[in-house]
Amino acid sequence: MRQSAWLFLVMAVAGGISAASAQHQHAAPPPCAGADLACATAATPAFAADGRLWVAWSAGGQVMVARSADLGRSFAPAIAITRNPARIDNGPDARAKIAIDGNGRIYVAYAVFQDERYNGRVYLSRSTEGGGFSEPRPITEDATSQRFETLAVDPSGDLLVAWIDKRNAATARSEGKAYPGAALAFAWSKDGGTSFAPARIAQDQTCECCRLGIGFAGPHRPVVAFRNIFDGTTRDHAVMTFADANTPGPIHRISVDDWKTNVCPHQGPALAIADGIYHVAWFTNGQARQGVFYARSADGGATFSPPIAIGTKDRAERPALIVQGHRVWLAWKEFDGEAMRVRLMVSVDDGANWGAAETIASTTDASDQPLLVGDGRGVFLSWLTKKEGYRLLPLPGAS
Amino acid sequence: MSIRLAILLSLVACSALAADLQPFERGSWEELRQKHAGRPTVIHFWGLTCGPCLVELPEWGRFAPATKGAEFVMVAADPVPEEPADLATTLTKAGLSGIESWSFADRFAQRLQYEIDPRWRGELPMTILIGRDGSSRSILGTVDFGELRGWIEQQNAP
Repeated sequence: MRQSAWLFLVMAVAGGISAASAQHQHAAPPPCAGADLACATAATPAFAADGRLWVAWSAGGQVMVARSADLGRSFAPAIAITRNPARIDNGPDARAKIAIDGNGRIYVAYAVFQDERYNGRVYLSRSTEGGGFSEPRPITEDATSQRFETLAVDPSGDLLVAWIDKRNAATARSEGKAYPGAALAFAWSKDGGTSFAPARIAQDQTCECCRLGIGFAGPHRPVVAFRNIFDGTTRDHAVMTFADANTPGPIHRISVDDWKTNVCPHQGPALAIADGIYHVAWFTNGQARQGVFYARSADGGATFSPPIAIGTKDRAERPALIVQGHRVWLAWKEFDGEAMRVRLMVSVDDGANWGAAETIASTTDASDQPLLVGDGRGVFLSWLTKKEGYRLLPLPGAS
Repeated sequence: MSIRLAILLSLVACSALAADLQPFERGSWEELRQKHAGRPTVIHFWGLTCGPCLVELPEWGRFAPATKGAEFVMVAADPVPEEPADLATTLTKAGLSGIESWSFADRFAQRLQYEIDPRWRGELPMTILIGRDGSSRSILGTVDFGELRGWIEQQNAP
């Protein structure tokens, strides 16, 4: 008998472990176990009105936040949002979320896996007067499943949470009806995140595994870009503009990419809005086109410009957008087999024309999605990489 | 039979039932291809975090162990590496414990995906068919097992 089998026997008898867990002899080195930013796989930034940068992340089963007064070069001691370790959703399009309102109130949200079927529960915490954070609470009473939450403070100061919800999917299945995907749901808080109005469903049968893009056409008029499921099979992007806080508008297809698939794309869209122009960037692998694309709408999302292919064919992924005045920055990632690069393009005329793409950062190991963040003056790339850690880099072309 | 021997035998039986997952790292794809070179091979990429994969997995469990004429390999390709114990439990439940199995063991998933197929962005499920002559074909999404059977028969046609 092989020596390893004897070792296995001794371990099994001594520790009472299962046969399955003994497979660890082949496993990857143990992941970073702490709750530090260095152990996180994704970090989400937001600027407060006072110019401080806040970053939220999950690591070691905890959701943490920390603030920086020097644009991410150093951070104050991190604050734990979670009270106990949990199985935080860390999928490729999931991350801890953070939003800060004009009064400096900080909101943090995240999803926890409830079971082995990846049903999630979204929790929200808000900053308190004393500098701490409230105990995280679910954003909705329904416990079926919420994931891919997005926080957005609307121009009036109210807090919108939108997410992917499985309550209608569960109901349909219990009635024996087909229900591809999951629903786009939302809820408002008018009291700084203390309480939420009941959740509403804005759209049924949307992609269940993609992040959402959210902006505002005006106070209480959210705009949501999302990967919809058209005709039960085609996972193309759509945009919806609310008529008022509780009235989701019709959905408009951003582009007929014709991605008929039952795979999990794990890649949602990026959306930015300024001066009535919607800017959208997304990934598709459809019959009509493949790769990352950009399009814009000047008529409230009713029609979009022809999609522009972004970056190197077959390599571009994970687009991010930010707008300031008439300037638009579009960043994405490209992997060439050795290095992962963040590429950037800038438009100075509302996205009508674009400058040449340039590389603004790179790494040779695992990395988060590139995110773009602004503080009203500057715009920055926020990027967490395994090798280099957290970086906040000012973008070229800022006014 | 001594108690010790009884425990030993039951553990040997258990370990045979549990999927033995090998870590899929840089270079593993080449290793895997060389190992199966010259024989029709079906490599199925799945993930614990992929709903359609979990729905389809029991079909693989019925198909793979019962199908002759091709070698089957399962690769868990979750972009964030999953616990081998959880993967093994799911594979065993699906009837795939006896099938060669690997699991992505590098958080830099793009590097692994690139080695497998530079055009693949990690969407799951995905299946690669490698013929006797080394030619390969990728199927994105769930497979049609009738077509898969046809490919295997074609590979084994005299």
